[in-house]
This record gives sequence, structure tokens and C-alpha cells, in this order.
Amino acid sequence: MKRLLAGFLLGVVMAVGPAAAQNGPLRIEITEGVIEPMPFAVPDFVATSPAAAQAARDISRVIAADLSGTGLFREIPASAHIGKVTDFDAPIQFADWKAVNAQALITGSVSQSGNRLTVKFRVWDVFAGTELGTGLQFAGAVDGWRRMAHKVADTVYSRITGEGGYFDSRVVFVSESGPKNDRRKRLAIMDYDGANVQYLTDSSAIVLAPRFSPTGDRILYTSYETGFPRIFLMDVGKVRRKQLPTPEGTMSFSPRFSPDGRKVVYSLTRGGNTDLYEMDIRSGKSRRLTNSPSIETAPSFSPDGRQIVFESDRSGTQQLYIMPAGGGEARRISFGQGRYGTPVWSPRGDLIAFTKQNKGRFHIGVMRTDGSEERLLTASFLDEGPTWAPNGRVIMFTRATRGAAGRSSLYTVDITGRNLRQVRTPDGASDPSWSPLQK
Amino acid sequence: MQTGTKISGIAHLLLIGWAVFGGSFDTEPLPFEVHDVSVISAEEFAAMTARPATPDVAAEPEAPAPPEAPVESPDLAAATEAVPAQDAPDLSTPPEIEAAPEPAPEIPVPDVAPDDTPPVPVQPEQDVAVLTPLPVPSRPESRAVDRVAPQPVAPPPPEARPDEVTSPAVTPDEGGETRQAPKEQTAPEAATDRIITEADKGDEVAPSASLRPRARPARVARREPKPAEKAPDAQSAVKAALAEALGGGAASPDPAPSGPPLTAGEKDALRVAVSNCWNVGSLSTEALRTTVVVSVRMNRDGRPDAGSIRMLSSTGGSQAAAQQAFGAARRAIIRCGANGYKLPPDKYDRWRDIEMTFNPERMRIK
Repeated sequence: MKRLLAGFLLGVVMAVGPAAAQNGPLRIEITEGVIEPMPFAVPDFVATSPAAAQAARDISRVIAADLSGTGLFREIPASAHIGKVTDFDAPIQFADWKAVNAQALITGSVSQSGNRLTVKFRVWDVFAGTELGTGLQFAGAVDGWRRMAHKVADTVYSRITGEGGYFDSRVVFVSESGPKNDRRKRLAIMDYDGANVQYLTDSSAIVLAPRFSPTGDRILYTSYETGFPRIFLMDVGKVRRKQLPTPEGTMSFSPRFSPDGRKVVYSLTRGGNTDLYEMDIRSGKSRRLTNSPSIETAPSFSPDGRQIVFESDRSGTQQLYIMPAGGGEARRISFGQGRYGTPVWSPRGDLIAFTKQNKGRFHIGVMRTDGSEERLLTASFLDEGPTWAPNGRVIMFTRATRGAAGRSSLYTVDITGRNLRQVRTPDGASDPSWSPLQK
Repeated sequence: MQTGTKISGIAHLLLIGWAVFGGSFDTEPLPFEVHDVSVISAEEFAAMTARPATPDVAAEPEAPAPPEAPVESPDLAAATEAVPAQDAPDLSTPPEIEAAPEPAPEIPVPDVAPDDTPPVPVQPEQDVAVLTPLPVPSRPESRAVDRVAPQPVAPPPPEARPDEVTSPAVTPDEGGETRQAPKEQTAPEAATDRIITEADKGDEVAPSASLRPRARPARVARREPKPAEKAPDAQSAVKAALAEALGGGAASPDPAPSGPPLTAGEKDALRVAVSNCWNVGSLSTEALRTTVVVSVRMNRDGRPDAGSIRMLSSTGGSQAAAQQAFGAARRAIIRCGANGYKLPPDKYDRWRDIEMTFNPERMRIK
């Protein structure tokens, strides 16, 4: 009887159910998508006068290079364009850009008055047929056209991805020239893409590990000009430097600014033991943060300034630890195979980049601040010294090739491990430090 | 007992008598081969067996007869002289140093990543589909993995235009009865199903072979919808129908749609079609944590009404992140619906209004 009743009910449900199943709209859930560069088009910006024509072309090319260089976008070449933009204020023929599968379109104009350039631009969502944000304009000196182009690209990047850009930023690094056994090292600074290289020091003394201040106007670095490694502070604008006061007979190195720019945390070797110290830049007073017979070095502040991540061999092998900014008990966060070093806290605060040596190869990797979700992004004969882009999405590092003719170069990689690229520099380059976005 | 004994005795006697007098053994003999054997002496046998081991060789072999017309041996000295004169190197004195070439110019460092790995030896052919050939300069390896899709896709033929749909090239047949418009060959771009970093590649320069890609269910469903094959069993259909009936009570100004609902296969086809255009690669980290629910009104030809697309709700991120996530969802709906989604026209009432939930959770771990 029960079976008969169940069968009857099932029949009723099957007969009535489908008809009553969907009263509202059809509902589906999408959980799988694709990850690929977004196609975009940047037709040459409209020059409002013949004098601005070259700048208009150059600015358009730098914007395209910035966006394509992220790996998140793919430029549709001008040869494939159907539509032409000859008037910045004319309505956009979206069908022309849809036809070439451009999902984003950047239009702009450049005008020049004397030594002053003005760049206007708009970003369009082609398939939605709408503008992303509103039109914007930058103005500046003619020789600052690259910075204006970077700023446009930063804005476009931000409007499409929702994250800040990193194009209007600079990188300080150690420029290396000469053979390996007689290598000359100089501090140099350049745009993030390798343009506008300028040298800050001569090659009379070995220089190491430059680090930008949070405002990008000062640099800390280590120099051997006294015979021992000492920390120097340089004003980038005036190219003026001073040595930070550290005790005689000690070696100080591996400095890094606190997020407020007032303090420096660094390593100091005294009597064969290396510990971490903190110095107030204004007063020059130092305070010891660690007291261990092991080697503690490569400190890096968290963005909120409350914690410091550093490397130590206190457990027998080189591992990463986090401790309160004022010193205190440290907890180990790296537990994988191999040795970990040069940790750097992401500007977003969510990840720590590091160098890892394992099975004869070097890797650049990232992990959560609790040590979880370790992800190795690169692998080579020698990768080391990661530094974060201002938006925390890209890492720059040093890659060296083996052999007597080995050369150091700078590379960038996305935090997903995609888009590994070399940064063009005139000579060998190492120890990069990425500045914040310029004001 | 006695009767039985008698019967047995009589039977045995008859059998013995038949065997003796019946001539049962006088049958013809079975055929067999016969070979003559001759008796030989021990000496003769020894001589026979010893002969192969010690062949009878003449004590003094005769000299071979000279050829009737002996060929004259070539005059090697004359041939050598005929060779163009070459100054023999004077090994007694070392070559002059000034003859040494100029040092090779410095090799420019290439822009690409230096390769520290030894070259991979060429592997013998295997019985697998070779998808990723060794990198060639004209097609950098990084380009090949630019796309990460739900299913790995083999590199398309070089002449094929990248497109979501695979279609063969059509060339007009001059002799055909019906003239066909020429059509370009299309194929989806090569894709992997997860992000492969340099560290994942190990020491290899590039994989020599990989598994055959699985068929893409979306395309199968779009080309040849087979609702019967993809229809769920009765129990799950009842559950799904009840769940939708109970949970789908949102107020709608439009009258309730009538007619049969979309089958699971038809829904899957729509889901996969939209997935193919849902590009999350340019989304921020926060937007990748944001789920958005988007509504869209569809035209009868299967194309979405772009102006009707709006975000109903979002969870997991800020308003800015939700807007980025919505933008990606909107582009996906419009792009892949540009030619119309393959939806059953007779069920238009069922798919006229669609709510799509874009949940990027699984894409964060690619």
C-alpha cells in the first residue's frame, strides 16, 4: 500500500513538477571562466596641432606598451583597426571595434602649447557601449611626456582591473659592468620599464641593496667605501648622501625603511654575530630587536608597520620568521624544503615574496603571511632579491646566468607566475627596489 | 543369483567363441612406412661420422689460374700528381700567431629569459597526441599558455582564425550545384586548464607531449543538442524541480512562463557558452572574491539585450570590486551572445529572462 501511494505521489510530482519548476527567470551559475589577456585598442591619439603629432604617437605607444607589458591585456595592432579616430569628441563607432574584438578602447588627444603638453583621454567598454569612468586630462612639460603616458596607462589599468597601476613608478638598482672578476657597481635609477636610466653613484666603491623610502624621495643603500659595509641615506632629488651612524668595528647592511619613513631596520654584525636593529633616522639612535647567536638579516616591515619579517638560521637552516616591530618572540612561517631568504612584505599586506633555494635551483615565490599557500613563480640558476610593484601585483627580481660570462638582469613576473619578462637595462643589473607611484 | 550367473557365463562364452572363431583379428593391417636398413661395420660408421670434422683437403692447393686479361693496376703516383698542388703544412714549425683571427664579437644577450637547462633530447615518437611542439622563435612559449580555460585546448592549426567555435574552412566548389560562401577555418585558441609557472616546468624546456584534450561539452551540445542523453534521471529531476519551485518564488511582473523547462543539457550548453567568454584574468584580487548576480533579458534570436543587463546583487567584495566583476560578467554575456546563444526557440518563454550568478571562487586557485 505504501509503495502504491509513493508511486502515485511520484507520478503526480513528475506531472506537475516541471511545469511549476520555473516561475521566475532562468537561473544558472557560472563558476568556470577563462584567464587570458583582454584585447584592447589604442589608436594613435589625435594631435591637435602638427607640433604635437610626434608626442601623440609616442604617448599612444607607451600606453600600449604599459598595458601589454602587464600580461593582462593584448593590444590589437593598428593594422587590424577598422575604425579610425580623427576627432576626440566624435562619437565612437563601437561596431568597428567589436568587429576586431577590442574589448577596451582608449582614445585621446594631445595638444602642445609652447613647452606644455596636454593629454586628454577616455576609456571605453566596447561591448557594453559605455565609457569606463569619465574623460581625464594631464598636463606637463614636453619632456615629461613619458610620465604623462604612464599616468594615462595607470588610470586605464585602474578603471579596467579595479586595482592601482604601477607604470608611473621608478626602480633603483645596482648597475653592473665589466667582467665578473672586476665588476663595477653603481647605483642607478630608471623608470619601471627601463627608460631614463640615471646613475646616482660612481663605481669607486661597491654598492649593494638600495631601498626606496615609502615616499620615493630617499634611498637607503649599503656601500663599502669605508672598507666595511655601511648604510647610507641618499636624497634622490639632490643626489646628496650621508652615512647613518653605526658603531665602529661593526658591519651594517640590509637596511629598509619603516612604512612611515622615520625608522630604518637593518642588520648589524658585531663580534661575528648578526642581529637586527632599528634606528631612528632623525636622532640616529639604534635599538636592538633580536638577540640570538644565529644570523638575522633581510628585515622587511609589514605595511601597517606592526610586524617585521626576516630571515634567520636559528633553526639550523635559513628560514623566514615574523616578529613584532618592536622586537620580541618570532614565529617561523616557512616550513618547506630548501632555504628561504630575502623576504619582502607586499604593499597590500597579504603576501610575502621570498627567494628560495632548493635542489640546486633558485626560485622567487610568494606565500601568505602565515606561511600558507606557498607558490613558486620562477626557477633558474640564480633568482633572488624580489621587490614589489606599488600595486602588489608584480614582482621584480634579479636573475643571474652561470659561468664566467654570467650576467645579472632584472625580470618581472606576475604574482600568479604568469608573464615573466626581462627589463631592458643598458648594462647588467641587480638588487632592484621599486618605488611607490610618483605624485 | 543363479540366473544372473548363468546369463553372465553364457555371454562370456559367446564372446570368447566369437573372438576365437569369428576372425575378428584378421583385419587388414594399418598402413605404415617402411625404410630399408643396411647393416654396416663399426669401421665404416666411424669413417662416416669422422668425415665432416676433417674435410678432405688437398695437401697442396692448386694456385688459381691467372685471369685471361689481367687488368693493369692504375698508376697511383701519376694520379696523385694529377691532384691540384697543395702545399703540405710544415709541421715542424708552428703557424704564425699573427694569422689568428680576431676575437669573436661579444654575443648580445637576448631579451628572452636565459635558458639554463640543457637541451632536451629528441624523444622517439609516442602514441600520444603531441600538442606542444618544441618552442620556435616565431611563437614564444609564453604566448601558448596565455589562455587558461576550463578545459585544456590543443594549439589550433596555424591557418585557423581564433574563435570560440571550431569550424572547418569552406571553399566554393565550382562544380557544385549549390554555391557556398567561402568561410575561414576557425578554432579556439590553445589553452591550459591551470596557470603553469616557470617553477612548475621543472628542468624541461617544454613538454614533448600531453594528453589529448577532452571534448568540449559546450560545443557538442550547441551543435547537436541531445536532450534525451543529458536529461537527468527522474529522481534528480524531481528534486531539482521541487527546489526550483520552492526557491524560485521571486516576484516577477511578467506572467509565469509556460511550456516545458530547459533540460539540464540546454542549461549546461548556455553555462559553458558564457564561461568561454568570462575572462577573469584582468580582475583585481578583490573582484576575484566577489560573486555577482546579473540579470539579462534575451531576444528571441538568442542574443542578449545589452541594455537590459544589470547587477542584482553582489557578495564578498566592495562596491568597486563588484562593479569590476559585473563589468567582466557583462562582457561575457554580450561577447559570447553576439551571434545568439543556442537556445531552443520553442522554449523562449523559459529563457527570456535569465539570472546568472558569476562565482569566481574556483578561478582564484587556477
